[in-house]
Amino acid sequence: MGVHKEQTTLVIGGGAAGIEAARMLGQAGYPVVLVEKSNRLGGVLNQLASSFPRWEDPVKFVEPRIKDLEQSASVKVLLESTVIGCQKTENGYQVQIKNINGAVEELQVGAVIIATGFEMMDLSGYGEYGHGAFPNVYDSLEFEAVLKEWSAGKKPEKPPVVAFFKCVGSRDRSKGYPYCSKICCMYSAKQAGLVKDLLPEAKSYVFYMDYRASGKEYEEFVRSVIEDKHVRYVRGRPAKVLPEDDRLLIRCEDTLMGVPIEVRADYIVLAAAIRPSRGTTEMAEMFGLETDAYGFIEPEPFQAVKVQERVFLAGSCGFAVETLGALQQGAAAAAQAMAVLNQAD
Amino acid sequence: MNATTSPVNQYFKALQLDEQSNSLSQEILQNCGVEIERCLECGKCSGGCSNTHIFDYTPRKIVQLIKVGNEDRLLQMDALWCCVACQLCVDRCPSGIDIPRIIDYLRERAIDRGIVPTRPNVKLFHELMLDQVQKIGRVSELYLILNYNLKSKQYLNNAELGPQMFFKGKLNPIPARVKRMDKVKRLFRPKPGQKGVAE
Amino acid sequence: MNVAYFPGCSLHSMSKEYDMSTRLVCKHLNINLQEIEDWNCCGATAAHSVDHSLAVGLSARNLSIAEDMKMDKVMAVCAGCFSRLKTASHEIRNNPHMKAEVEQMLQSPAPVKPEVEHLLQLLVEETGLEAIAQQVVKPLRGLRVAAYYGCLITRPQKVVQFDDPEQPVSLDNLLKALGAETVTWGHKAECCGGGYAASDTDIVLDLGGQVLKSAKKAGADAIVVACPMCQGNLDMRQKAMGLDFRMPIIYFTQLMGLAFGYKPGQLGINKLFNSPTALLKSKGLVKE
Repeated sequence: MGVHKEQTTLVIGGGAAGIEAARMLGQAGYPVVLVEKSNRLGGVLNQLASSFPRWEDPVKFVEPRIKDLEQSASVKVLLESTVIGCQKTENGYQVQIKNINGAVEELQVGAVIIATGFEMMDLSGYGEYGHGAFPNVYDSLEFEAVLKEWSAGKKPEKPPVVAFFKCVGSRDRSKGYPYCSKICCMYSAKQAGLVKDLLPEAKSYVFYMDYRASGKEYEEFVRSVIEDKHVRYVRGRPAKVLPEDDRLLIRCEDTLMGVPIEVRADYIVLAAAIRPSRGTTEMAEMFGLETDAYGFIEPEPFQAVKVQERVFLAGSCGFAVETLGALQQGAAAAAQAMAVLNQAD
Repeated sequence: MNATTSPVNQYFKALQLDEQSNSLSQEILQNCGVEIERCLECGKCSGGCSNTHIFDYTPRKIVQLIKVGNEDRLLQMDALWCCVACQLCVDRCPSGIDIPRIIDYLRERAIDRGIVPTRPNVKLFHELMLDQVQKIGRVSELYLILNYNLKSKQYLNNAELGPQMFFKGKLNPIPARVKRMDKVKRLFRPKPGQKGVAE
Repeated sequence: MNVAYFPGCSLHSMSKEYDMSTRLVCKHLNINLQEIEDWNCCGATAAHSVDHSLAVGLSARNLSIAEDMKMDKVMAVCAGCFSRLKTASHEIRNNPHMKAEVEQMLQSPAPVKPEVEHLLQLLVEETGLEAIAQQVVKPLRGLRVAAYYGCLITRPQKVVQFDDPEQPVSLDNLLKALGAETVTWGHKAECCGGGYAASDTDIVLDLGGQVLKSAKKAGADAIVVACPMCQGNLDMRQKAMGLDFRMPIIYFTQLMGLAFGYKPGQLGINKLFNSPTALLKSKGLVKE
C-alpha cells in the first residue's frame, strides 16, 4: 500500500493556523491550495507589536513560514480570494474560489481545513467606556497599531497614562458573552508591559477581575510585567469613563479596598471579547458545520480538530486561542488531513 | 456610642457563614426574581454608583452580604436610605442583577421590622408623601414641604426658595383631589410600624 | 395621533411651564393629548422605596383608566412618572404573581395593553425628527446647550428599551433638528440626586453640582432637560451648590415651542429660576 498524494487539501484562511497547516502539508509533499481573503499572509500576527510570553517579534515568526510556503512546490497561495461555494462529492468537495477580479476557479479537494479566525466584538453597546464617542479609546487590536507607531519612534510628547480594561464583552451575559475570551489576560499584560518598555516614564494600569495565566511561562510573564516593568494592576471592573479636560476619567471600585478609585488616563484600551469572524460564520454555513451557541465551529465529540468527514478546524474559528495554540491546531489539522487522504482501503 | 457597638467595630467583626446563610439569597430570588449567585464580584456596579462615595456598603458589598446571609447589617445599613435609585448599577451589571430592586426590598423589610433608619428624615419624607396620596390621591408640593419642615423640625429648610417659587406661580395653594378616592385607598394596606398609613 | 397623557403632580404646580409647553408643542404636531381622567399620583420615589406592591398598584390604576379610555398609548413627560408607569407595565406583563396582586387591588383585569412612552421617545420614534424640523420657523442657531437625560428616561434598559443608556443621543438629535448645537460631555446620563431635594439636600447639591460643573466645562450656555425633578434640582440650587453660573435649565418642550414660533410667555419661560431671556436675546431668539 503506497502513500496517496493526489488529492488537494483546501486551507481557508492565511493566519497563523492556516499557514502552519499548509506548510506542514507542503513539507510532506501534499498539494495544497491556501485561500486568503486579504492581500497578505499572516493574519492578526501582522498587526501585533510583540508577543507573549517571550516578547518575540511576530514578524520573525511569520516570515520564515511564508518563505517555506513560497518555496514549496506543492502549495499554491491564492490571495484576495474567497471560497464562494462547495458541493459534497464522493471523495471530498467540489469548491468554487473567487478572486478579486471576479474570476471563479473550480477545484476538487479531498480535505478542507477551516482556519478563518476570530474578530473582536463591536463595542458600540459599551457606551460607558466611550469607544467611538471619545478620542483615544481603543480596542486591543487598534492599540497594537499605536504600539507599533511608538516602537517605530513616533512617540507621544508627554509620557501618557494608559489604562487597560479586561473582560469587555467577555464574562458579561447582559451585553456581551458569558465566556472568558481566554487570551486577553495575556495580551493585555503584554501591551501594558510594552508601554513601559517603550515609554519608561509612562504609567500603565491594568483593571482586572482576576488574571488567568494558565500556560507555560504565563504566570511568570504576568508577574514580570508587574514586578519588573512596574505595571500597576487594579482589581475591579471599570464602571464609567468620563471626558475631563483633555483626558479620560475612569471610575472604578478597587474591590480589594472596597472604595472608589479614579484614574485620569490619556489612552484607554478595551480587551474586547473574541467572537467568530464573519468568514467563520460563512464557512460554517457553507459547509454545513456544527457550531456552538456563539457561532464557533464545534469539533466532533472527543476530537481535537475534526469537525466532520474530511473537514477540520484550526485556530480561533473553534474558539479563542493564542498563537502557539493556533500552530498546534494547524499542525494537528494537517496530520488529520494526511491521515484521511491515506485511509487504508 | 461606645466602642463595642460602633459601626467600625461591627464592620470588622467576623462574618458567620452557617446553615442560615443561603436562605436570604433564596428569598431574594423568590420575591425579587434576582439571582444573586450570578454575581461575578467584579465591582462594576459600585465603581460608577452615583453615591458610592457615601455608601457604607457599596452595591457589590450588599450583594456579598446577601450571599453570606448577613441580614442584620443589610437592614441597618445607611445605603438603604441614600440610594438614589439611578439604575446605573443594574444596567452595567454583567449579570443583570437588579440591585435597586434588592435595595427597595430590603428597605421595605427594615421598615416592617421597625428598624430605625440611619436617615430618619428620608423615611419621614416618604411617609408624608404617601400620607397625602392616601388622603387626596395626589401630592401638593407646597403642603408636603411645609408639613415635612414641621415634622422634621427644620422650619427654614428650603425657605429661601419659597417666595421666588410663589411669585413664579409654581406653588399651587389649592391642591387637586382625586374623585374616586375609594379606588386609591384600596391600593394601600396597613403595615405594622408604619405610622399613619392604616385607615 | 391620540395619546393618553399623564401629567403627574409636579406639572400641576412646580413645573407648570413643562405642562404648558408640552400641550402647546403636541397640539402643534397634531398629537391629541387626552389627560387620564381622575389620575392619581404615581407614588414616585416614596412608594417604591417602602412598598413595592403599592408602587405598582398606583401606576396600574392610571394605566387601567387609560385602557378604559380605549387608549393604547400612555405618555408622560416627568421621568419619574414615566419610570413608575413603565415599570408597572413591565411588572404586569412579565410577573404573573404581581399581575394577580394588581387585579386584586384594582378589582378589575390588569391593564396589559397600553404602551408607556416618554414624550421624547414619542417624538423621536413616531413623529420623527424630519417632521419636527419641518415645523421650525425660528431655528435655534448659535444656541450651545448640554442635552441632559438623567437616569430614568433610558434606564433600566431592559424595561425602558429606548436610546442608549450610557451615550444617549435622542435629545441631542432633537435639539439639532431645532437648529441648536449640543456639546459633548460626560454627565448627560449621570444622576442629579433625584427625589432627595428636600429630605437629604446634600445629595442633590453634590450630584447636581457635578452635572452643572461638567456642562459648564463643556462650554454649554444652558442645560436642556426632560424631567421636572432634574429641572428643579439643577435650576433652583445653583447658589446653594456654591456655583455662580446662573445657568438656565430649560425644558426641551420650551425650546421646541420657541423654534416653532411661540412666544416665551406661552411657554412659561419666565417661570424658570435662572432666566434664559438674556441668552435667548443674545442669539436673537426672543425680542422684548
